[in-house]
Amino acid sequence: MKSKDNPIVVERYTVLDRTAHTIHALAMIVLIITGLKIYAGWDFMSFHNARALHMIMVPALLAVNWILIPYNIFSVSEGGIQEKLAHFMDHYVFGPEDAKRMKAIILNFFGKGDYPAFTIYDEVSGHYKTKLHPIMKILIVLEGTAIFVIAVSGIVIYRLDWALFGLPVGSWILSAGDMVAPAFGMSSLQFFRLLHLLMTYWFVFELVVHVGILELDPHVWKYHKAIFWSGKEDLSDPHYVEIVKPNPKHLPDRELWHEPSDTPAEVVKD
Amino acid sequence: MKNLARTLDSLDFLKLDRRTFMKAVGALGATAFLGTYKTEIVSALESAETKLVWLHGSECTGCSESLLNGGNPDVAQALTKLNVNLAYHETLLAQQGIFVDGKLANNSELNSEILLEELIEEGNYILVVEGSIPNGPQGSGKYLMIGNKTFKETLGEAAKNATAIVAVGACAAYGGITSADSDIAKDTDYRGVAFSKTDKTKGILQELGIHKPVINIPGCPAHPDWILLTLGAVILGKIKIPDDLPAVLDDYGRPKVFFPPDHTVHENCPRRGYYDRGEFDEQVGGEKCLWKLGCKAPYSHADCGIRRWNGSVSMCTQAGGPCIACVEPGFPDSSRPLYVEAEDKGVLLGANIDTLSKAAVGAATVVAGVHAVRRMKGE
Repeated sequence: MKSKDNPIVVERYTVLDRTAHTIHALAMIVLIITGLKIYAGWDFMSFHNARALHMIMVPALLAVNWILIPYNIFSVSEGGIQEKLAHFMDHYVFGPEDAKRMKAIILNFFGKGDYPAFTIYDEVSGHYKTKLHPIMKILIVLEGTAIFVIAVSGIVIYRLDWALFGLPVGSWILSAGDMVAPAFGMSSLQFFRLLHLLMTYWFVFELVVHVGILELDPHVWKYHKAIFWSGKEDLSDPHYVEIVKPNPKHLPDRELWHEPSDTPAEVVKD
Repeated sequence: MKNLARTLDSLDFLKLDRRTFMKAVGALGATAFLGTYKTEIVSALESAETKLVWLHGSECTGCSESLLNGGNPDVAQALTKLNVNLAYHETLLAQQGIFVDGKLANNSELNSEILLEELIEEGNYILVVEGSIPNGPQGSGKYLMIGNKTFKETLGEAAKNATAIVAVGACAAYGGITSADSDIAKDTDYRGVAFSKTDKTKGILQELGIHKPVINIPGCPAHPDWILLTLGAVILGKIKIPDDLPAVLDDYGRPKVFFPPDHTVHENCPRRGYYDRGEFDEQVGGEKCLWKLGCKAPYSHADCGIRRWNGSVSMCTQAGGPCIACVEPGFPDSSRPLYVEAEDKGVLLGANIDTLSKAAVGAATVVAGVHAVRRMKGE
């Protein structure tokens, strides 16, 4: 969607996107710190404060991930279910085009070739075709899985007999663990505590990758402001951006510029 | 009683052979016992006598010792109050096995093997099993022979005629220490009565094709209260077998009242306050939380913290020993290394989660740094 003031400034992140990301980041950082405090016994905070903060951030994180983000993904696109699904696949699922970009990124890391554009904006439709870094698309799937695992394991750490509307969810989780844990020479509860710790470390790893690889680049800092504050992207900044221009073939012949050397291109790259 | 007194009056101890002497001493002991608990016994006679057959498999007899160490009630009080006839208990009965030319000799008053055979034939007893049952080598059970029979065979016969079966201790319940992983574990193949570690399809009863419910009272050893109160509940009909068992036992056949699925030892540990303050002992002998010394209380379902041991005055963690989760079905393998924090167990090539994660985060940081430098240079 183009800004009213400047035709090349578009909305990259909606208000809800920015809200979700901020709450997600805040909740995740607090959960990691308080969780590791509880695990390692750091003495900068009392156990009860750490536990209270941890338990406040859990519903915040889950609400953002399981309600707000899905709502954002499926509400932003127009059309029916098929269109929404296509939008989801293009924007958030790692596909063949992302694999090509990923290959180019790796080659660039080793000094071969250019860093590819990963944000593709379609001027015809006025929407992004895709905008996330390919590593982000991989991280999204892994993070979604990790959040599910850490939530499930967290339930039995929080309370062994936790129930939801009378359903003994805690017992179900422990019983499920009983089927897997002995293979690792552990009890069910032991297994889930270990999983919880492992997922915590995963989030630390992910944070390093996300912040370090994606954000420690002066040309990507424009997205910091976009995701936390303005939500806007200036497409005149060519770094990592590709714009799909209107196809001249679709214009009436009389509106085309006729030059013998002119060869209209479908896609004009910056 | 009159016959007994007359017999004792005419005894000349100097002329007795060894076996008759033992019998006489036993009778004198019984007389003293009867004198001490006369009132209780009279009241107990109002309820029907219950026979108890207590078999010992591969074990250390620690659970029997724990039982004898019981304080409230002690074993004599419990047996008296409940009018229990402890008909067979290898380490407590006076009889012993007597074989002449490979055949059982004498009668049940002197020969424990004949006594056991008669008891099994009569039936109508509660069977208590202490110790695991070796199934090896190759399913023969020959790694434990008592008399001329494998213990596996004896247990099978005893289980068939029992009105209730109670497995006492980690070994009888799940295999315990005898079933720990080792180079010979597959050969010896120690099993619990109804479980093999966490697997309820590989207990020795299932191996024998006997499908009877079993109450497991694990622990290394089992707490005397757990044993006596469970037996008391069964004898008094407070637990009806098999109807009540699904409600009173957890997934591993343990009475939920002693092994609560929704609580761990950690929650009522006397050192819990130190955990809450994040104060951990790094060496044994301290007073703080023992988690970093490998305490498994956060994974152990038992009421040790409330019930306490040795006359309700202490427990492992209170005495400075990290909990080793001896009540859990995977014990001891799931608790090993006993004094290493569970999260520090090696999971990949000997490296633990902490080490692997730190290596991964470190590698990511290095890659991110290189990446950042290259991007900032505009390469």
